[in-house]
Amino acid sequence: MRGFGRFLIATLCGLVIAVGIHIAAILTSPYLADQDAFSKVQATLTADKAQIVSAPGGANTWLPNPDPAAAVATCAFDLRNGPMRVATRAGSLPLSFSFHKETGGVFFAVTDRAAVRGELEIVAMTPRQLDEARAAEDENAPSRDVRIVAPELQGFVIVRVVAPAPSLRPQAEEMAKAVSCTAEQDA
Amino acid sequence: MSIRRVPTALLVVYTLLLALGLGLGSAYWAINGAPPFGSLQLGPWQAWPKLGAPEADPYMRAIIARRSDVPLATGEGMGFTASTDNDGRPLDSACSYSIGPVAPIARVWTLTLYDQGGRLPATELGRSSFTSAEVLRDAQDRFSIALSRNVQPGNWLQLPAGGSFTVALRLYDPPGAAGANLEVSDMPVIQQLECGA
Repeated sequence: MRGFGRFLIATLCGLVIAVGIHIAAILTSPYLADQDAFSKVQATLTADKAQIVSAPGGANTWLPNPDPAAAVATCAFDLRNGPMRVATRAGSLPLSFSFHKETGGVFFAVTDRAAVRGELEIVAMTPRQLDEARAAEDENAPSRDVRIVAPELQGFVIVRVVAPAPSLRPQAEEMAKAVSCTAEQDA
Repeated sequence: MSIRRVPTALLVVYTLLLALGLGLGSAYWAINGAPPFGSLQLGPWQAWPKLGAPEADPYMRAIIARRSDVPLATGEGMGFTASTDNDGRPLDSACSYSIGPVAPIARVWTLTLYDQGGRLPATELGRSSFTSAEVLRDAQDRFSIALSRNVQPGNWLQLPAGGSFTVALRLYDPPGAAGANLEVSDMPVIQQLECGA
């Protein structure tokens, strides 16, 4: 009977520790994952233009469940190189940007409805870079940049352009590829 | 005394093995499934509105990393999936279905079929999706998309050769807080027509 009691306590201890391990594994897995979206887009860090992840049609992509009507392009960013400026001309096709952290999770998204005079331009920066940009600003000519603060140094931007009809797919792909992502040295 | 020390050590080993096995096993099982919390169910359509939001819970983050997925962000759109019809029967390529007559308001919506592996089905038709701009509508602006193996008039999507399938409805740039004020009556109805053949 005493042996059984000890066994029961050991089992209960095991269950309690298992809960802890479960929580730790779930919390750390986005940081440890080496097959997540960020790892796959890291090669685009140096590119000036967004790189196609999933062309319309949905063939040849690592994205799960690709939408054949949408062109998806991406640029990775590393804010240690300076703030990241993502810019494009809005066209007739629906276009949207979403900003993702390295560890997964969206921190900002905007569609081309927010475009000013046909230009959609977003600057992602760290809190420190934002302070510097504000300090360097000329009071008489305030910057018109839309500035967002990134919670992490690294991340990626996803550009989605939807082609409502198959004949518009090449145009959607061109629009997605035309998005420029540049690191600013002097902002 | 020395006899009792051996079982204690064994019990400790047993405890740790049990903890490791259960903890890692359950975590692995959880990140390969669907997010357990925060789902929005509208008839057969299921969505996780927080999946593309900064306040996604740790399970959602782990699952996104595992799938190497990039969900539609809040403000960008919303994705629904269905794996059953409106009566709760699993979607099967041996049956035929109709989807319609309404869809939620959005700038563009797309309706896409996926096979069991989450890939676009390879069919003779070579088409696996409809967008809101392509779909043919009647005078009352209602539409009906036929899903079947065999040719159908009107809006037709060919089902994969066998097995189950899923349907994804993506709303791009919907007005207002995406999904917050959607109701079952806004979503298309998936109706099973006939099985066999």
